[in-house]
Amino acid sequence: MNLRVVGANLIVKLKCVWREKTTMFFTIAFPIILILVFGTIFMSQDNVGFHLCVQDLDQTTLSAKAIATLERDGKFKITRVDPAANVNQYVRENKVDLVMIIPRGLESSIVQNVTRKDPKAFVTITYIYDPSSSSVLTKIQILNAVLAGINQKLSGKSPVIRSAETSILTRKYRFIEFFVPGIIAMAVMSLSLFGTVNLNTELRQKGIIRKLSTTPITRTDWILSDILYQFTLAVGSTIAMLLVSYIVFDVRLNLDAWLPAFILLDVFAFVGIGMILTRFAREAQSAAAAANAVSFPMMFLSGSFFPVELMPGFLQTIAKILPLYYVNEGLRSAMVFEDDMAALRAAAVIGAFAAVVFILGIMATKWEEGQ
Amino acid sequence: MTKDAEYAIEVVKLTKRYGDLAAVNDISFTVSKGEVFALLGPNGAGKTTTVEIISTIRTPTSGKLMLLGMDVTRQKSGIVPRIGVLPQGFSSFDRLTVRETIQYYSRLFGTNTDIDGLIELVNIKDKAKVQYKKLSGGLRQRLGIAIALVNDPEVVFLDEPTTGLDPRARREVWEVLQGLKNRGKTVFLTTHYMEEAELLADTVAIISKGKIIAKGSPGELIENNTNYLVLTLRCADNKAFEIVRKMGFEPVLNGNKEIRIRMEHKDDVQKILNAITDAGALYLGLDVRKPNLEEVFLKLTGEALLSDPVVERGVV
Repeated sequence: MNLRVVGANLIVKLKCVWREKTTMFFTIAFPIILILVFGTIFMSQDNVGFHLCVQDLDQTTLSAKAIATLERDGKFKITRVDPAANVNQYVRENKVDLVMIIPRGLESSIVQNVTRKDPKAFVTITYIYDPSSSSVLTKIQILNAVLAGINQKLSGKSPVIRSAETSILTRKYRFIEFFVPGIIAMAVMSLSLFGTVNLNTELRQKGIIRKLSTTPITRTDWILSDILYQFTLAVGSTIAMLLVSYIVFDVRLNLDAWLPAFILLDVFAFVGIGMILTRFAREAQSAAAAANAVSFPMMFLSGSFFPVELMPGFLQTIAKILPLYYVNEGLRSAMVFEDDMAALRAAAVIGAFAAVVFILGIMATKWEEGQ
Repeated sequence: MTKDAEYAIEVVKLTKRYGDLAAVNDISFTVSKGEVFALLGPNGAGKTTTVEIISTIRTPTSGKLMLLGMDVTRQKSGIVPRIGVLPQGFSSFDRLTVRETIQYYSRLFGTNTDIDGLIELVNIKDKAKVQYKKLSGGLRQRLGIAIALVNDPEVVFLDEPTTGLDPRARREVWEVLQGLKNRGKTVFLTTHYMEEAELLADTVAIISKGKIIAKGSPGELIENNTNYLVLTLRCADNKAFEIVRKMGFEPVLNGNKEIRIRMEHKDDVQKILNAITDAGALYLGLDVRKPNLEEVFLKLTGEALLSDPVVERGVV
């Protein structure tokens, strides 16, 4: 390794990208767009509120109170359905997935049961629902829980079994805070992989690689300078992502030495893969297609966008053989859970992977044109 | 191991195969130190393959290759700092300026290059701060030559340095190459321009279909392979054409007004001119010249160097 040569290459690559304004713009803009899009989606999930249609046939003070409790405890947005309406027809015509019917006699039944201690007095709430809706079962579960709470209170007895919630985290995190590390891992992967593939196929097609083969630069110098170059860009775009998520969504994460360490490992792994792809895909188009083929499963299966736990068992197994999974896990361990041991375990896996891919990348890089 | 090698380049039985095709087929030659050596041949003859093997870009299938006394296939790291290469279709980083590009390559070699001196040598001083992507073809090639010189190499390889350039840009590159020649560098040049080889080279090797078919100085090649002169007459009408034909020559009409006549003896020139004057016919101008390398190539291979109509017209 020759530091002078590595430095010369790094300077040239940074100068070129700095002067290529479009590339520069997308290097920074791409991760920011990701943060804005996913941030908006995740923020709305944090404040999720289901829509519920209620037909109050009882029209009493007690039924009005019950609806108010649903609105407060179940976080439902309530639409009142005309008591004279045919609910089945209403569901179809208004394309709603659930209407809750409060029957006539709610107040009188409760009064009879509670004040006159008549256990035979009860009332049945009816749900008219569209089973094809994905959220309807969740809504019914929430409604049943709220109704169970009301029943328990009406019974006048204090609950025997109670529950308490204690988060393992020192403070309450929102959904988006779990996802920002995933987006950082994914964006760094994309930058490194596509950056390496695009740059190297372009230089090869232009004959610059052929010229370089007649200079003292070695394959190791070349790949190391590429890694340093991609690392510089990755740090730049990570800072942009963290700033935007802080300014726009008030995302605060634990920032320590693990962050640059995982960015570097992420870059090492995917520059290495990029070098291998460049070797085997001769044309720029096929190289880009190969990079897509590597990055797409990685994006969706390794837990950058969706928690791995939500995926079917066999996909979870696949996720655990993907390098990006360990970058995601490591970054979350460090930035969210502040768990150094878990971060270290993830770093060991991705570190070993990066070392192997780096060596294969050096072996795959070819200066000479023919045998 | 490297001291005082007799030749700058020594190639013995070099062969390069791609499957069944022999791009270079058992060629041998030597290049003396300080000479300009041109490998002349049409596209696909094996010029680039040969120069790329000698300049360490490709590896040979078989054969012995010595460069400055070192084995090219085994001592690449010893050879690279002592050679400079302008590959075919040279290109560089679009966004770097001329000065930055030379500086970059100089850093790769770790040499204290006189960058201003190089910029002046290839005559691109006024473009020093211009980015590569904004340079014309001729300027790019001159920059490529400057880069090939950053390590003050003993042997310079230039693979088709003027291909694709307009005549003026070509002449400007030739001037730079003349400068190299005057500095005493060993230059290995490939070209399919006969004029380029004739103008610059001390030694020319003609390559066709992977084989070297003739080698010598341009004068020797012409002398050894041709024994005639070419007389060109510009005439007002076609009377002269008929007169010459009746004298037993085989004149070729080039356009309406130009006749080319091949002859074996100098005396025939005077005979033809007298015959035309005696018959009362007119000629407006004349030119007598020896054959050129193009004609040597045609004689040796039966095919033209270029499918360029201008050159084809030059062959009588």
